[in-house]
Amino acid sequence: MRDEISKIRARGGELVIVGNGAPNFAAAFREDFELDCPLLVDPELRAYRAAGLRRGRVEALSPRLPLNALRALRAGSRQTSVEGDPWQLGGVFVIRPGGDLTYQYVSREAGDHAPVEQILAALDENAEKIPEGSATPRAQVWIGQALSRLVDPFILSSFDRTGFRIHSLTFQAEDLEVDLSGRRCLVTGANSGIGYETALALADLGAEVVLLCRNRERGDQAAQEIREATGNAKVFTEPVDMSDLGSIRAAAERLSSGSVDVLVHNAGVLPDERVETGDGLESVFATHVAGPHLLTRLLRGSLEKSPDGRVIWVSSGGMYTRRLNLRDPNWNERDYDGVIAYAETKRAQVVLAELWAEELRGSAVVVNSMHPGWADTPSVKSSLPRFHRVTKHILRTPAEGADSVVWMAACPRARRSTGRFFFDRKERRTHLLSSTRETEEDRRALWNLCESSTVERSQ
Amino acid sequence: MERDATSSGVARRLSNIELLDWQGVPQRLGTFWKERPIVLVFIRHFG
Repeated sequence: MRDEISKIRARGGELVIVGNGAPNFAAAFREDFELDCPLLVDPELRAYRAAGLRRGRVEALSPRLPLNALRALRAGSRQTSVEGDPWQLGGVFVIRPGGDLTYQYVSREAGDHAPVEQILAALDENAEKIPEGSATPRAQVWIGQALSRLVDPFILSSFDRTGFRIHSLTFQAEDLEVDLSGRRCLVTGANSGIGYETALALADLGAEVVLLCRNRERGDQAAQEIREATGNAKVFTEPVDMSDLGSIRAAAERLSSGSVDVLVHNAGVLPDERVETGDGLESVFATHVAGPHLLTRLLRGSLEKSPDGRVIWVSSGGMYTRRLNLRDPNWNERDYDGVIAYAETKRAQVVLAELWAEELRGSAVVVNSMHPGWADTPSVKSSLPRFHRVTKHILRTPAEGADSVVWMAACPRARRSTGRFFFDRKERRTHLLSSTRETEEDRRALWNLCESSTVERSQ
Repeated sequence: MERDATSSGVARRLSNIELLDWQGVPQRLGTFWKERPIVLVFIRHFG
């Protein structure tokens, strides 16, 4: 690396290195590599984010990285990666006096390298300035759009991680350069999978995040991890069982004292057998539909207190296969099939999001649904072991699955829509088959069903 | 979003961020490219 420094200096420039550790890491790094250039530390990743390197179109940095650094610090050792390739980059920018950007490079994979000659050429005073609307190059967006057009007709094929890679080429890095401090976000089912990644990302953007989890211990564990990884102390747990209406009422009572800016309905279940809840509801219907409906109703006032309220329903691509089922939502008449129950309730969530959007039209609260694609989460592994075995090599990471949720919760542009369905940060249609379309009457019946299922029964 | 006519988006967003250097002294990023061009490298790992 010292060789590169002399080449840079020979052209009148200087190398400035930013790392994400603590100052003592930088001091050690400096010593190990005998560097005499400026070395800065950015443990909160403020500069990383401002440069568009954090979450956005590519995972230039693993979201777990600060956590790993923390673990290493606790263990009293430095990260072992220092013994590996020091040029393992998050990104390289050449900035000329006056603030002209003449070179930018965002690392896509661990271990890829920026070409040194191009960097040196960009130091030249005649180097061409990069016209920059955002950190996402226009050609890349164009290629992403072209590829998306090619892949999206085969809708199912775009649900996998290749689909994410292609779609993410069109993501605007600036979209998630947002400061969410002062905003309060509630995420159900937040101790693992997509819920966890959503909570982690929102906390990382500065929001107060409340993890609504069935299991207090697992919730506390996740909250602790997120606090450590992000340095954000405002990450809390609220125990709630989304299939239990009484538990939801109790939690809402505690949560509704303040305003709520974001409510993410993420908690999900896929049981093998029919389970009836204490309220007499089938557990999948209770967890995905009745419970979230009740929680939304109870937090409505808190959401309306926010100048920028957002409710996000995490549905599933599986909903494309089913029509809204109102005849037997609690599986009293049919032989139980958990996968069908799952898909039917995921369809119901999409419709319910549209109905809530109508209900809240005129307020500052937007309501949308989304599907995360096929992501490799603990739930998929335990509930759909065969699906997981066959597809595990093409599944998205939970963070990739959570990307659109985070975008919908955080990006200012995302609140332009209400009552819409998203996938990979874009509005998508909600039907692929005409046979799944519901009537206006069905839609009204769903609302009534939710109301009647959640009405407080006098004991 | 409003853009500074001269400064690029990335440079403008970075310029006012203050980070600690290896000795723990706060440094404003914009000062580094005031007089000379810089190669600003973000590394994935430190230490």
